[in-house]
Amino acid sequence: MRVLVIDPDPARAALVAEGMAADDVRVAPSLETADLAHIAPDLIVIACDSPDRDTLESLREATAHNPRPVVMFVDRSAPGLAEAAVQAGVAAYVVDGLHPGRVRSVLEVAMSRFALMQQLRADLAKAKADLSDRKIVERAKGLLMKERGMDEDAAYRLLRKLAMDSGRPLGAVASDLISYASVLKGGGS
Amino acid sequence: MKPKTELRLGFIALNDCAPLVVAREQGLFAAEGLCVTLSREASWANVRDKVAVGALDGAHMLAPMTLAASLGVGGERTPICVPLSLNLNGSAVTVSKALADAMRDIDPDGMAEKPRTARPLARLIAARRGRGEPPLTFAVTFPYSMHNYELRYWMGQAGIDPDRDVRLVVVPPPRMAARMRSGDIDGFCVSAPWNAVSVSEATGEIMVYASEMWRLGPDKVFGVTAAFAKANPQTLQAMLRALLRAAAWADAPENRAELARMLARPEYVDAPEEIVRLSLVGSPPYVAGEAGSDSLDYIVYHRYAASFPWRSHAVWFLTQMRRWGQVGSDVDIAAAADAVYRPDLFRAAAAELGEPAPLVDEKVEGAHPECWTLDEATAPIPMAPDLFFDGKVFDAAQPEAYAASFEVTRAAPHKI
Repeated sequence: MRVLVIDPDPARAALVAEGMAADDVRVAPSLETADLAHIAPDLIVIACDSPDRDTLESLREATAHNPRPVVMFVDRSAPGLAEAAVQAGVAAYVVDGLHPGRVRSVLEVAMSRFALMQQLRADLAKAKADLSDRKIVERAKGLLMKERGMDEDAAYRLLRKLAMDSGRPLGAVASDLISYASVLKGGGS
Repeated sequence: MKPKTELRLGFIALNDCAPLVVAREQGLFAAEGLCVTLSREASWANVRDKVAVGALDGAHMLAPMTLAASLGVGGERTPICVPLSLNLNGSAVTVSKALADAMRDIDPDGMAEKPRTARPLARLIAARRGRGEPPLTFAVTFPYSMHNYELRYWMGQAGIDPDRDVRLVVVPPPRMAARMRSGDIDGFCVSAPWNAVSVSEATGEIMVYASEMWRLGPDKVFGVTAAFAKANPQTLQAMLRALLRAAAWADAPENRAELARMLARPEYVDAPEEIVRLSLVGSPPYVAGEAGSDSLDYIVYHRYAASFPWRSHAVWFLTQMRRWGQVGSDVDIAAAADAVYRPDLFRAAAAELGEPAPLVDEKVEGAHPECWTLDEATAPIPMAPDLFFDGKVFDAAQPEAYAASFEVTRAAPHKI
C-alpha cells in the first residue's frame, strides 16, 4: 500500500511518515506539488488545515481530463472514528477498494501522530513562555536592585507581593514594571 | 434544559460571510445572549465535516453543498437544515488577460456585448481544437457550488460542453488569482473579493458578473445539522435574529465602507481593504483602469427578501445537479428541497423582529424584467428584476423538464 501524506507542516508530516515506517510513504506539502498521477497512491492522508481538501474532493467527480477519482474514507464499522479524525485534524481518501482495516490502522497512526505533534507544540510554547517570564523577572529584579538599592531577595519579595496583591502572574507584573520604568525615564513610546 | 449559548460557527474567507462577522463585531450575537466564536476554515470539505460531527455548531455554507450532504452525494449523508440565506449574487467569471485578448481577436462584437455571453469563448475553443491545442482550464471552488453551476450555465448557453470542451478543476478561492498569474488556469468563477484581485493586478478580466447572469441569484446560506435544529430550537432562533439584523446592517449603503474595513481584517477575509471594498461599494471594474459601477446589487445581503431560504432556489440547484449528472433521476427533488430548506424557521425569526417575510415558499424565477413588489408577504416587499441572461424562466413545479430543457445537459428529455 502506498500512502501519500499531504501536510503544509513539514515537521508534522515527517512525524506521521515515520510512524508509518512499514508502508511506502510519500510526503508533500500540497496537492499541487505532489504529482498525483506519478505517485499513484492507494491512500491519501491530508491535514485538515491544508486548503487542498476541496481539490481532492473534486477528483471523485471523474471527468475526461481528471486523474483517478478518490473517495473520502469513512468506516461505518468503527463508531466515532470520523469524529475523532476531524477533531485530530486529519482526513483520509482512498483511491481504490482498500480493505477498511488497513486504511483504519494507517489513519489511526496519523491521528495519534497529529495529537503528539500538537502536544509537542503546546509544550514548546509553554517552555518558551516560562523562559521569557523568567528573563523578564530577572530584568525587573535588576531594575529594583539598581533603582531602589535593594538586594536580590528583597527585590524578588517585592515583585511577589505586587503579584499577589494584584492577583496577576509574576511575569506580567515584572513586565509592567519594566515598561513603566522605561516611560518614567523618557524611553518607550 | 438550559439553551445552548456557547457556539462555534465556521466560515470561509469571502465577502459573503459578512452576516456572521457583523453579528459578532456589532454585538448582535451577544445581544441575544450568545457567545459565538468564529472559526475560519481552510476548505468547504472541512466546514461540511466539522458541522457533521459537531465540531462546529453551524456555518457559512455553499447552498448546493447543503443539498449534496443531505442526500449523501459526494460524501457521507448528513441531513442539513437551511433556515437563512446569507446573500444573493457576489461572484463573477474572470479569464486571464491572454485569454480575454484571444477572445477579442476572434469575436470583437461578442466581447463588446453586455452581459457578455460565452460566444467568443466558444469560437476560440473551436479554433483551438482545429489547431490541435489542449483544452483551456477553468477553476471553480467546489463541485457542489453556485460557482460551478454558474460557470457551466454560462458556457452551456453558448453551446460549450464544460465536461468535454474545457478542463474544470477546483482551486481554493484565495489562490485563484495566483494560479491564474502562474498560467495554471485560464479562467475561474469565484465569489468576492477574489475576482477583483486579478483585475486590479491586470492579470485578469471579468467577463460577466453573477448579477448579470441571474439578476437575483442565490449563493451562500447559513446551515446547521437537522439534529442541531431539532435539539436547539431557541438557540437557532436567537442566531437567526442576530444574523438577520446583521444582514440588514451589511446591506445598508452607508455601512458598506465600514463593512469592507471589517471584512478585510487578517482574521476574516485577510485581503487588502481597497480590494474587498471594490465588490461592496459597487461592482468591481471588468478590467484594470476602468471604473466599476456604483450598483450595490453586485452583492445583496438583505434587500429583495435576500435572506429568505426560497424553496425555488433549492429546487433550482437540484435541477443543475441533475443537469450535470451529479444526481440521477431517482432523486426526489421536491422532497430533498423540503427536507433542507426551512422557510418556516425563517418566518418565526422575522416575526420576532417585526420584519416582513414572504408567505409563499417559492417564486417563479426569471419572470420579472422590472422592479416589482412581493405582495404575498406579511408586509409588501420591494423586489428587483430577476431575469436570467438567456431569458429562461424557472418554475420550481417542473424541475425535471427544466433540467432537460438545456441545449447542453445530461438529464434525459422529459417524456410527456
